[in-house]
Amino acid sequence: MSEEKVIRYGFPFVARFEWSVGFLMERFIKSLVDKKILAAKCPSCGYTYVPPRSRCGKCYAQLGETNLVELSGKGKLVGYTIAHVELDGSGNFRDLEKPRVIGAIKLEGADSTIFMPLEEVDPKEVKEGMEVEVKWRDEMKGPVDFAFRPVR
Amino acid sequence: MWRNVAVIGCGQTKHGRRRDVSLAEMVEDAAWKAMEDAQLTPNEIDAIVVGNMQGFGGVAHPDCWVGDWIGAPGKPVMRVATGGTTGGSVGQAAIYAVASGMYDKVLAVAWEKHSDSKEPGATTGLLHVALGNLAHALNYGLSLKHLIVTQAVGAAAGVALYQARFYMHRSGCRIEHLDMVAAKSRRNAAKNKYAHLRWPGCTPEDIAKTEMIAYPFRFGHICPASDGASAIVVAAEDIAKRREKPVAWVKGLAAYSDEENQLMSESYGGVGVLDASEQMGCRVSAMKAYKMAGIEDPKREIDVAEIYQPFPSQELIFAERLGLFEEGKAWIALEEGEMEIDGRMPTDPSGGVLSTNAIGSSALQRILEAALQVMGKAEEHQVPKEVRNAVAHGWGGVTNYITVTVLGDSPR
Amino acid sequence: MRRVAIVGYAQTQHQFDMDKTREDMVFEVVKEALLDAGISREEVDTVITSSSDFLDGRTISSVFLSMAAGAYLKDESKAEEDGTSAVWYAFMKILAGTHDVALVEAHTQASTFNPHLVSFYTLDPLFDRQVGLLNDIAAAAIQARMYMSAYGVSEEEIARVAVKNLLNAAKNPNAHRKIPDVTVEEVLSSKLYYHPIRELMMSPLSDGACALVLASEEKARKITDNPVWIEGVGCCQDFYLRDRDLLKLGSLEKAARDAYEMAGVRDPLTELDLFEVSEKFAHEELMIYEALGLCRRGKGKILLEKGLTEKDGEIPVNPSGGALGADPVCATGLVRIVEAAKQIRGEADGYQVSGVRKALAHGQFGICAQKNWVFILGGER
Repeated sequence: MSEEKVIRYGFPFVARFEWSVGFLMERFIKSLVDKKILAAKCPSCGYTYVPPRSRCGKCYAQLGETNLVELSGKGKLVGYTIAHVELDGSGNFRDLEKPRVIGAIKLEGADSTIFMPLEEVDPKEVKEGMEVEVKWRDEMKGPVDFAFRPVR
Repeated sequence: MWRNVAVIGCGQTKHGRRRDVSLAEMVEDAAWKAMEDAQLTPNEIDAIVVGNMQGFGGVAHPDCWVGDWIGAPGKPVMRVATGGTTGGSVGQAAIYAVASGMYDKVLAVAWEKHSDSKEPGATTGLLHVALGNLAHALNYGLSLKHLIVTQAVGAAAGVALYQARFYMHRSGCRIEHLDMVAAKSRRNAAKNKYAHLRWPGCTPEDIAKTEMIAYPFRFGHICPASDGASAIVVAAEDIAKRREKPVAWVKGLAAYSDEENQLMSESYGGVGVLDASEQMGCRVSAMKAYKMAGIEDPKREIDVAEIYQPFPSQELIFAERLGLFEEGKAWIALEEGEMEIDGRMPTDPSGGVLSTNAIGSSALQRILEAALQVMGKAEEHQVPKEVRNAVAHGWGGVTNYITVTVLGDSPR
Repeated sequence: MRRVAIVGYAQTQHQFDMDKTREDMVFEVVKEALLDAGISREEVDTVITSSSDFLDGRTISSVFLSMAAGAYLKDESKAEEDGTSAVWYAFMKILAGTHDVALVEAHTQASTFNPHLVSFYTLDPLFDRQVGLLNDIAAAAIQARMYMSAYGVSEEEIARVAVKNLLNAAKNPNAHRKIPDVTVEEVLSSKLYYHPIRELMMSPLSDGACALVLASEEKARKITDNPVWIEGVGCCQDFYLRDRDLLKLGSLEKAARDAYEMAGVRDPLTELDLFEVSEKFAHEELMIYEALGLCRRGKGKILLEKGLTEKDGEIPVNPSGGALGADPVCATGLVRIVEAAKQIRGEADGYQVSGVRKALAHGQFGICAQKNWVFILGGER
């Protein structure tokens, strides 16, 4: 066997994507701009999805525009974690200066759990079961840029 | 031991640039059509096999997300991915799942969505292939401009190019024959409502007018990068026999792979296979699949073939390797009209991959189209003769992966 | 139904950043597996490999590896997820009667591309990926915390799972992470990623490969006098992260039930001698005990507390060290099958558990173990 070490070199490659979202998701994203959170309620089994989707995963009924419902934006924190790192997009973890709270939230009127940033709270004070409400940004930096905060 | 399997339902999406649906919606469209065609609800499906080329859609292991849309939760789900043969491998995995006795009704879904890429002038996935094989593509005479013009499908053309040249050198086939194959594909695709590039009345002269990319491939010879999904439901013999609609029985299948046909391959110093049109893997796969199907003379016993041909030379090469024509003589049969929809040995009556290429799904689509022919359900592109046996083929990788599936109108 | 047995296997020494190309690594492990079985490449009918394009960093990643795995002019395919899926596929191919001998190979070189970033790419691209917060560790952390709250499980108890497995790994020659003097304190002071998950509570990023040979009964008897029979297989996929109950591993429950039914196992606690499970996070092992039916929901910590799942306990779990000892992603589940087979055959030098006749091997894939495979293996003597 050869004594030479394996030569390593990296191949820089960037792959960019822009996914088409489909009709219901488009409504959801546009409604965020109007500070509304839409969900889709299955006409057959009642399971309510957020974000909305065109096929129920539980009973397989089809969902359409008529099944869209607006949520109050209030919900309950069913779980959370405190992030001390984040992925930097190149496969490395970098330390966060300030730990962030990622909340698992069940919105009033919906059955899905969404995982969103929980802000305006000291990580040590976060408790499961807290009541939370949506916190809109003054300027959205992306299509789904919004957060939650504890209800005071 | 083997128990007989039949295709009892088929479904596919309209192929093209599908910005109107999300990836999940596109996949479920095909899956639901197949289940409806099989007259089954998702609760009656026992297992699911899925596949696509994950780098192309930009979602890793998309079945974890898309699964909810096709009835995956609560079921055994297998993900299979083998490059261009992905669809064929997905179909064959589903067939083995039923043949093994472990599951009675299995849904197989394969797809590709190129249009979600954001790269200008090329789909992200194909650009990935192009960059990975850049040295080789440039070696074969492709210029960067041509790479972009063909949306980087031209990168895959690099391998197919020198395969075509070998074939033409050995057999006497000329570029006019490639024009004829491409024109036939566009004409057949015009009869297929799900196909992408449809050109009724297309002639070889129309193709010959398109720009030459690198000899002998013209722009008109290159397959499109389509978005689309296809799905089939396969079931065990007792279930298939109870259906009142015709089914397509699986008579034989094989997927023997060959050494990668790429000079100066990035991992080795060289390869043993020098003639890329030799396709030993295809010969062996065909031999095994026919033996399993009890077919001794494919030239007489196969009635229609769905060949995976993103490039026209491959329709001729693989038709020969599948034993449908004498070695080196497929192009003569083409001249004599044998490969037309109403010919003696129709090949790719659906238009094939040349006119519709949602890569991950294309090989499954060949099985699907072959099944439609056997069942008599191919509507406008149904071949006008009795179909007892059909063969569906797929190739992928660096022309080293092959799938061959033989379907028939009676069980083994 | 035909019977199928494992007749040979091999695995690499899993490590961080192996100084070998993927092709060499695969070639060597396959050669070793064939040697272990005592058969030549010609006797293999079909080859199924397992790897992931995203993890390997190139599309159709098996295209240059199929030959390295001995698939030249052989019926081959690739399951693109955990290696247990490839074994499931090969098992079905032999059951179908069309093939008699199958070679299964799985590998990942985690040093090529961070598997945690790949887990981010598995998220819903239209929403969760846009929000940009989640990955497999963050989701597992949320699940761990929910589990700990719901059932009163402490961080120490989670850390004790890690200690058990890391101490076991120290005796396993193939394991990646060997810390023979690890303590609960060391685990609890390792780097914090997403609370409560710390470095030593997560599987390491390993480069590794594993291969095994399956054969039908007639062939198995000719090849070896120590076959390990595959008596049951189960596989199940759960709902996507937003719409599933994170307090339990629902799809593992179903996969285990199916495998038990096929193998005729009514009481896993008394009928199975050993368990090799894929616990990518320490808390997952407790949830796995529950999903496999070894104890009631929320009571997993009691099995650990009482020492039942230690190597010398009544129901040893992960004497090899499990995924916390080495996690070559796609190969991890296959390694579990090989480790269970090793114990049944009495070949686990240095960490052999005595009297293993029936064992369970588990593989998983996807965030919070969304997909699960369960194998029940049985020896002859």
